[in-house]
Amino acid sequence: MERKQTAMMLAIALAWLAVLILGWNGAWLIAMVLSVFLMLGHMVLGATHNGKLDAGFLAYPLLTWTALWVASFLLSAYYAEAFRGKVPDFTILGFHPSFAWTIITYWIGGIASLSVGLYAMRDRWLSEADWETFKSDIAAIKAQGGQA
Amino acid sequence: MSAGAKILIVGFSFAMIVVSFLIGIWAKRKADTAQAFFGGTALFGPFTVGLSTMSAVASAFAIVGIPGIIYATGNPMSFWMLSSAAFGMAYIILGKKVRAMAELGPISSLGDISDLRFQKSRYIKAVMSLVLFLGCIAYLAAQIKGVSVMFAHLLGWNFYVTGFLIFGVLIAYMIIGGEAGGIMTQAFQGLVMAVAGIIIIIGFFVVTGGFGNVLEAVAKAGEVTGGGVTKKMSADFLNAWGVLPGQVSMVYMLVPILGTVGQPQVLTRMYALKNPRDMPKLGLWAALSHAVVGFLAIVMGFGALYLVATGKIAPLAKADTAAAVFADHLGIWGQLLFYATVLAAAMSSASMFLSLSAGIISRDLPAAFGLKAVDGPTQIKRFRVTMGVLGVIAVALALTNDSMVAILGTFGWGTLMTATFPVFVVGLLWKRASKEGVATGLSIALVLNVICFVLVQNKFKFPGAIPWYFNVIVFSIVATVVVSLFTSGAAGKNLDRAVEKVIDL
Repeated sequence: MERKQTAMMLAIALAWLAVLILGWNGAWLIAMVLSVFLMLGHMVLGATHNGKLDAGFLAYPLLTWTALWVASFLLSAYYAEAFRGKVPDFTILGFHPSFAWTIITYWIGGIASLSVGLYAMRDRWLSEADWETFKSDIAAIKAQGGQA
Repeated sequence: MSAGAKILIVGFSFAMIVVSFLIGIWAKRKADTAQAFFGGTALFGPFTVGLSTMSAVASAFAIVGIPGIIYATGNPMSFWMLSSAAFGMAYIILGKKVRAMAELGPISSLGDISDLRFQKSRYIKAVMSLVLFLGCIAYLAAQIKGVSVMFAHLLGWNFYVTGFLIFGVLIAYMIIGGEAGGIMTQAFQGLVMAVAGIIIIIGFFVVTGGFGNVLEAVAKAGEVTGGGVTKKMSADFLNAWGVLPGQVSMVYMLVPILGTVGQPQVLTRMYALKNPRDMPKLGLWAALSHAVVGFLAIVMGFGALYLVATGKIAPLAKADTAAAVFADHLGIWGQLLFYATVLAAAMSSASMFLSLSAGIISRDLPAAFGLKAVDGPTQIKRFRVTMGVLGVIAVALALTNDSMVAILGTFGWGTLMTATFPVFVVGLLWKRASKEGVATGLSIALVLNVICFVLVQNKFKFPGAIPWYFNVIVFSIVATVVVSLFTSGAAGKNLDRAVEKVIDL
């Protein structure tokens, strides 16, 4: 369990470094996509309970959010390039087709996946039983004279 | 602006300051222990904490400065303001861990969590507190200066009187109610921001006819000249990346989203929540209220672009007047709500950073330097005195020393991330995060913050147009992880059993 955690933290550190170096060298779109996985790594570590990540929670909100944001950046880049230097021949909800994905998938999609998802899946994130077990474990450690 | 509008703005602002003061006094009865007074620990429900978190995160700069940046450069800054999902992400990453730490021992500050995690490492607590103090005082000075200038100019009042009046009341209610009072007043101010935001957003649609009209006007405007100023516009201005290099969009996306989990105004609110299982609800309230305020900043910037593109006003000589200029076009209620939102945003952020700074000076740093611990009532007394003295000094310096405010402006969101990521994000997610690793990461953060500050003052260009703080954040995290791999203080087998349970939760 600790090895997996260490491997994940190493991957996170490397991803931070990679995003920075890519940014230095102007490969910012790749860096943006990579940074989605960097954030996913942090969330996986945070949501893991006793070394295990609930599969339902991984699917929604985590992977749903990942797909939405990767799509968001790629679609924004595609339409920015498609209409570079000219007036777009269509809009999405009135927005430039490139910026529309910032609104739809990045902003609204982000809230619908992470914020609503965390609420909808709250028992998989932290169940009443897990919290009570945690509190009784801490009480037991305190009773034994542990630091807590 | 008409005299009637000025009277309304003064009246509404005065009412808001009075209500904030009364809430601060009322909260005194909740702040009956050191934990409650300093941290509001485990006292509040998700609605109060959610609004308080949002309002402390969204400073006056978000309402005034960001529309100006959008007016000047297009959409890259929109990534920052549309980062409402950041709260859900922050709670998924650290919510239950930080709240769980409050079950291990008395938690009144971030320094207390650092003590529990890193077995009372005085070095870690001292360096983290110093870097946090830099970021907090920078934010505080910026709020004081910005709002005092704006309201003094608007109302024709003396600049110093305006500043001391607004922030004098704030200092008073924070001294009386402590952080418990701070959280409650911030929740009220957050509610004002959200309600006013919704009404101004509706006003944007009434004035412009919607985003399609803005895009059409900006795309066709070409070069607009007026009042001796020329503004070049095109459809590209309103694509996702605007007119700045793509790296800027990358940083403006990643830093606010992931950086939210490293902001003290978010971390401290995690342990202010009474029931940890309410955190998802807290995430929803924070995200929804932030969505309104974030979108408000966007529409103010777009609105100013529309007014210039359609020739209703001349191009702006100063981009940071964009929000105020657009508010003027919304009529008297638009102006009233705009200034109320700015005041609420400034007061909520200022109270948070004043309280945090005072806690660092009166409590965390003395402990880190090995001074003898004192009992709760004495701590509260010291905190109150420090808050009063620090508050008055901060107001006086912010109002009289322009260069200091500008210099402090170097520090902010990124600086706060460099202080908290090694200790909390790496420290509470990874059992092998060692005392030595975190101390190294923090030391690098402190040194690089200072070096970069000097470089920024000397107009140094960082590689690839990446902001300096992004470099510092990466180096401090990487150093923390690498050194932790080869050391074991407060990590692995030396990890406290209770802390291990928190990381496993």
